[in-house]
Amino acid sequence: MARFLRPILLIAGVLALWELAAQSGLWNRLLFPSLVRIGGEFVALVSGAEGLMQAWVSLYRALGGFALAAAVGVALGMLMGRSAFVAGLLDPLFSGTYAVPKLALFPIFIFVFGIGSLSKVALIFLECLYPIVIMTYHGARDVNRVLLWSAQNMGASRAQILRRIVVPASAPFIFAGFRVALPVAMIVVVITEMISSADGLGYLVIYTLSSLRTDRMLAVVLAISLLGLALDQALVFLRNRLVYWEKLDAYYV
Amino acid sequence: MGSVPIFHRIARLALLAALLAAWQIASIGGLPSYLLSPLQIAQEFFAALGSQELYVHAGASLLRSLPGFLIGSALGIALGLAAGVSRRLDETLSPAIFLTFPVPKIVMLPLFMLWFGIGDLSKILIIALACFYPTFINAYYGARATRTILVWSALNMGAGRWRIFRRVVVPSALPQIFAGLRVALALSFIVMFATEMINSRSGLGHLIQAAESSLRFDLMYVSLLTIAILGYLGDYLLRAARGRVLRWQDS
Repeated sequence: MARFLRPILLIAGVLALWELAAQSGLWNRLLFPSLVRIGGEFVALVSGAEGLMQAWVSLYRALGGFALAAAVGVALGMLMGRSAFVAGLLDPLFSGTYAVPKLALFPIFIFVFGIGSLSKVALIFLECLYPIVIMTYHGARDVNRVLLWSAQNMGASRAQILRRIVVPASAPFIFAGFRVALPVAMIVVVITEMISSADGLGYLVIYTLSSLRTDRMLAVVLAISLLGLALDQALVFLRNRLVYWEKLDAYYV
Repeated sequence: MGSVPIFHRIARLALLAALLAAWQIASIGGLPSYLLSPLQIAQEFFAALGSQELYVHAGASLLRSLPGFLIGSALGIALGLAAGVSRRLDETLSPAIFLTFPVPKIVMLPLFMLWFGIGDLSKILIIALACFYPTFINAYYGARATRTILVWSALNMGAGRWRIFRRVVVPSALPQIFAGLRVALALSFIVMFATEMINSRSGLGHLIQAAESSLRFDLMYVSLLTIAILGYLGDYLLRAARGRVLRWQDS
């Protein structure tokens, strides 16, 4: 019993401290809006058409960039994993620019792709590409050789080996890459919307802040957090459905 | 990495050279003004190296990202290791941390700006928050993956709890800790850049934003190249440190 109670106590304690700070009157109400008001704003946000519209805009940018990166990244990673030549060509490119913040390209992307959704989707694509390519590459490279030899011995064609052995054997790695990339997509969509945008949840955060409605701002922050959490959980659900033969370690890969 | 066939090395260099050459040749035909040719970028970059402005902004950026990275990862490693070895702490702390892990931490920036002002403190703290998560999670799993047989042997030889922690758990978690540090370092640069683009009067993120709004494309590429070099250099240093600390382990 105590096992399940303790984490709840921690979270409840933090929330209680917050409410205490809000009610104490020591700080301005702008700094610590009461939880009741944040909750009220949150309900208003998710029940109104306006709030859902903004969430949809952010979601569609994040998922669009992520889906593109997933398609291109898995293909590239597979190629790199199964061909030493392609790996020798592309691996230095990816590991050399891995630590470079791709966000710095955003101003240039704005000029190339315009200030609308396209520049944001392009940046999300680029940021998500790295973890997906690297993880897929590792997965496809380290396929158990005995399996490959057996399949060859039994006369499987290259296409059959790819479909029946390499893809299933790399699937846990591919999903591990997705699991890193999806929160990255959320981070980048929020950042780019905060920097330059007229819609989306990131814009809403900046807008509510500059109109000094911190209760509303925190409701938006809550919505973004829940969205990130829900996407991650959906991915875990999908993963456990598709990669049913390998258990996911407790929380995280 | 050491035994790359010579043919692959040549192909790799040829690809890079071909890309740069194609870019340069395309610029002869006339690129849009926001795309500079590689030679132009190199020229502008070396010109900027001679002026003081670049160093001031790069210094301001590093003074934000490095303290944030150090604070966040020190806390992350310490708490992660502690949660990895103490069941009580694990049960209390870990659920809250794993629950908030997929939340984009940058959304807390406006709140931090209200609490800690719009100066450097709020930026350093948000960078620390972003660096905390990957280091915590990696140190946690590193500590938990310690082979029980090693712990048993140490216990058998009469080692105390603290000694086991220091001599068995920490060394076996180190590879994983370095993996976390590498992610955290990359994140610290991203978040630093983002906070400077959103609100700042100095730093490389501010420089690129100011360059964009005054259409100084040369300056845009100079700050882009600087941040790329800094990011690469940091990662290189971290990998070198990993090589020294983990000499006993073959990658």
